[in-house]
Amino acid sequence: MLVEFELIQKAQQGDAAAFNSIVSAYRRRIMGTISHVIGRPEDVEDVAQEVFIRLYFSLGQLRTPEVFEPWLYRLTVNASYDYLRKSRRRVESRMADLSEQQVMMADAVAGSRAQTDESEKRRVRDTVNELLGNVSEEDRILLTLKEVEGLSLKELEKIYDVNENALKVRLFRARQRVLKKMKDVTGASSLNAKEKEG
Amino acid sequence: MIFNRAMENGNPERESRLDELFLAYRDACPTPEASTNFMPALWARIEAREVNTNWFGRFAKGLVTAALAASVILGLMVSTKSPARNASSAFFNLSFVDAYSADRASSLDPLDIDRISYLETQ
Repeated sequence: MLVEFELIQKAQQGDAAAFNSIVSAYRRRIMGTISHVIGRPEDVEDVAQEVFIRLYFSLGQLRTPEVFEPWLYRLTVNASYDYLRKSRRRVESRMADLSEQQVMMADAVAGSRAQTDESEKRRVRDTVNELLGNVSEEDRILLTLKEVEGLSLKELEKIYDVNENALKVRLFRARQRVLKKMKDVTGASSLNAKEKEG
Repeated sequence: MIFNRAMENGNPERESRLDELFLAYRDACPTPEASTNFMPALWARIEAREVNTNWFGRFAKGLVTAALAASVILGLMVSTKSPARNASSAFFNLSFVDAYSADRASSLDPLDIDRISYLETQ
């Protein structure tokens, strides 16, 4: 625990300074997790604020100090999930508004930019985001917490409040889907390379 | 564990590539530093939501009060006995035979005594 339970109790009683201390203690960690889960640095602060707003309004429901961190993680997972769902809808509606020709042009521009302008980090982020786009938002978050954040199954068990076997199965299936997508992407890119050579 | 997964999947190369990709992703997503405006913006959002919650609470309370008042008024109206209600309750309390005869009686022609006596003489 990064904070004492007394501080949480003070915040529960409406002490704004105590709440500020909790936010300051966990802000960096929460922002790091959100950054990994959503993959868009520009929106991390916004989602982190949403997490702490939810914390503020539900702090009164917390009874035992042991569950504070998993509980805060759960709020983070839920806020990230809501963000990912909204952003997916936005992308879908934006793409639906465009004509087929415009979509082809947008793809071409994005492709050329990827080849020329974008940094290696950006390319890695885009690749992983594309791969994770093949699984549901829930699985994406679960996979990121496990593989990128490095949380153990025990920690995930506390956050999700489900047994380890169920988590293992879900993680395995999600990973298989990502691997399949990876295979498709690799297959397509090697096919394109062969065509270019030919 | 990675090895086990690779054996299960039958493609250790792709498995390890995915693990490497996840590691690279971790480094490619740096933890952004919170801006100086983080806390003021957070409190502004909390206060805005509190205002909305309070407004909704007041609205819900008003709605409950109005519903309660409406149900009291309706209850009073129902419990007050009106003549129309008495008539209708009498109708519902009649047996089938009574109701049928009352209905038939109103549709019968008025009794013509002269006509009856004329028929009897024939």
